[in-house]
Amino acid sequence: MNAMRKHFHLWLALAFVVAMPLTLRSGSLASEVLIFGLAAMGCNLLLGYTGLLSFGQGIFFGLGSYTIALTLTRWPLPMPLALAAAVGMGALGAALVGWIAIRQRGTYFVMLTLAFAQMFYFLAYSFPGLTGGDNGLLDIPRPSIAVAGHTLWPLVSPWQYYGFVAVVFLVTFWFLQKASNSIFGRTLLAVRDNEERAGAIGYNLKLLKLQAFVISGAVTGLAGALHAMMTGIAPLSSAEYHTSEMILVMTVIGGTGNLLASLLGSAFYVLLGDWLSTLWPRWLLLLGVVLIIVSLGMQRGLWGLGQTLWSLVRRKQPAAAAPPSVGEKA
Amino acid sequence: MSIYLLQVINGVGIGMLYFLLAVGLSIVFGLLRFVNFAHGAFYLLGAYFCFQMTRWGMSFWLALLVVPVVVGAVGWLVEKLVLRHVYDKPHEFHILVTVGLALVVQELVIVQWGPLGDNVPVPDLLQGVVMWGNFVYPKYRLFVIAFTAVLAVGLWYLLEGTRLGSAVRAGSESTEMVSLLGINVFRIFSLVFALGAATAALAGVLAAPIRGAEPFMGIEALGVAFVIVVVGGLGSFGGALVGGLLIGIVQSVMSTVWPEGARLMIYIVMAAVLLLLPHGLMGRKA
Repeated sequence: MNAMRKHFHLWLALAFVVAMPLTLRSGSLASEVLIFGLAAMGCNLLLGYTGLLSFGQGIFFGLGSYTIALTLTRWPLPMPLALAAAVGMGALGAALVGWIAIRQRGTYFVMLTLAFAQMFYFLAYSFPGLTGGDNGLLDIPRPSIAVAGHTLWPLVSPWQYYGFVAVVFLVTFWFLQKASNSIFGRTLLAVRDNEERAGAIGYNLKLLKLQAFVISGAVTGLAGALHAMMTGIAPLSSAEYHTSEMILVMTVIGGTGNLLASLLGSAFYVLLGDWLSTLWPRWLLLLGVVLIIVSLGMQRGLWGLGQTLWSLVRRKQPAAAAPPSVGEKA
Repeated sequence: MSIYLLQVINGVGIGMLYFLLAVGLSIVFGLLRFVNFAHGAFYLLGAYFCFQMTRWGMSFWLALLVVPVVVGAVGWLVEKLVLRHVYDKPHEFHILVTVGLALVVQELVIVQWGPLGDNVPVPDLLQGVVMWGNFVYPKYRLFVIAFTAVLAVGLWYLLEGTRLGSAVRAGSESTEMVSLLGINVFRIFSLVFALGAATAALAGVLAAPIRGAEPFMGIEALGVAFVIVVVGGLGSFGGALVGGLLIGIVQSVMSTVWPEGARLMIYIVMAAVLLLLPHGLMGRKA
């Protein structure tokens, strides 16, 4: 049953990835959905699976952006290696932030992640030699994937790039799904639900949290790098509080504790933003209202809402069909 | 040397404003362990309401009196209508609901007043500078220091000398115990939340003639208020005062030494305090 569901989610993700080119006109927009889907999944691993509310996701996103910008322009590396470097930097940053932040719990932990996010922003701002300061890093190339001079996969047009992002997304999704269904993932849930008990049983809480942080940072760094390659710039704004907040909002609106829900949250945010921002530039107002509603009455987010509706359609009790909810326990 | 002295005095001016900004956040946290990410939004509203009133031709002094009352009422309503319903939810949703509120307020401000900043004139009475020999200081900033000092004494009395204050202080030690004694903690929390919103708005009004009103000052102020509250000790009145002055002075002096690094410094201080002295300089040990 568990294995069935695992594959079911992967198929759903694949269907989503295939459906976007059929329904959306802009390849960049579709890529953005998947890229922020990655970032939201990274955040979800911390919030939904481990119970850690992190305001520091922008650090890892920014680290990924800056790393790929530097490794593609200043110290030229082949693109796959540059991408790997960005993932590595995201993981390294998360290891450092996590190692320090998990020494505190609850509110103090949240505030520490916030302090680190601000610190990273002002660091990036104070060292324009490396980060371009206020202007950010510009003219990031998007080299095609080539072996010995033969272009295997050109990444010139937005849809070609989407294909590449889609493959990266699906591989990452598969990996995260596998990780969250493993004993490791289940242990994280135990930490989230009752930290004292998990500790009393003998799990090494700090190590578990640190591992979750590193995976989350790596995935978020990957998202930052893909985003920088898509837009061609690594702006200072990707290191701002706003980026951390945005990733967090997507995760919460989608629903925590389920990886597909993060993709849903990202799609909701990116597509609604794209559609509304032309009609009404202050659409973030609406987003704030949605966030309040989710916090007050639908802690399982859009995914939970979908589940409830689905079980109503099938005329079952909502509680019976929905798997043990995530937001409501913690 | 005198430049540093001047910066220290400047820092005291900024620090007193910071104290006013942070004290509400600190008390609100102390009572129900409630982290209010919308605190900066009340500061933002204070500055813009002041701007609007002076643009209508009303005096700054009237704004100083009316705006905190209005924003306090807004805070009271928000607590009744929204926050009240989140207390029984998991801890992370306490934070997220206020993040949503902050976003709503910020966007409403942009809808009403536009994304660019506006200036608020210094009241006529306080135009110009005070001179004692070599020492020159703007009158308005001197007024801010004096005014917030008086206010701090008033707040201190409210917390230390009244029944409400003792309930608040006891509540920050143990909410459960206080409710067992027959005190309605939630009613007190409504009042404290309104008071927090009013003090933040007052800080916004006082800051408006110095730095103008712009939509993103709320987020910026929130970051600073967190630093102060953490450094001083969550839930501590004295901590907010010491933390506010300390951060104000550090920031002011650093801005002559290493301007870009001034902000970086205060967040490094915050992280260090969180790790080494999680209860801050003045906080009580839990």
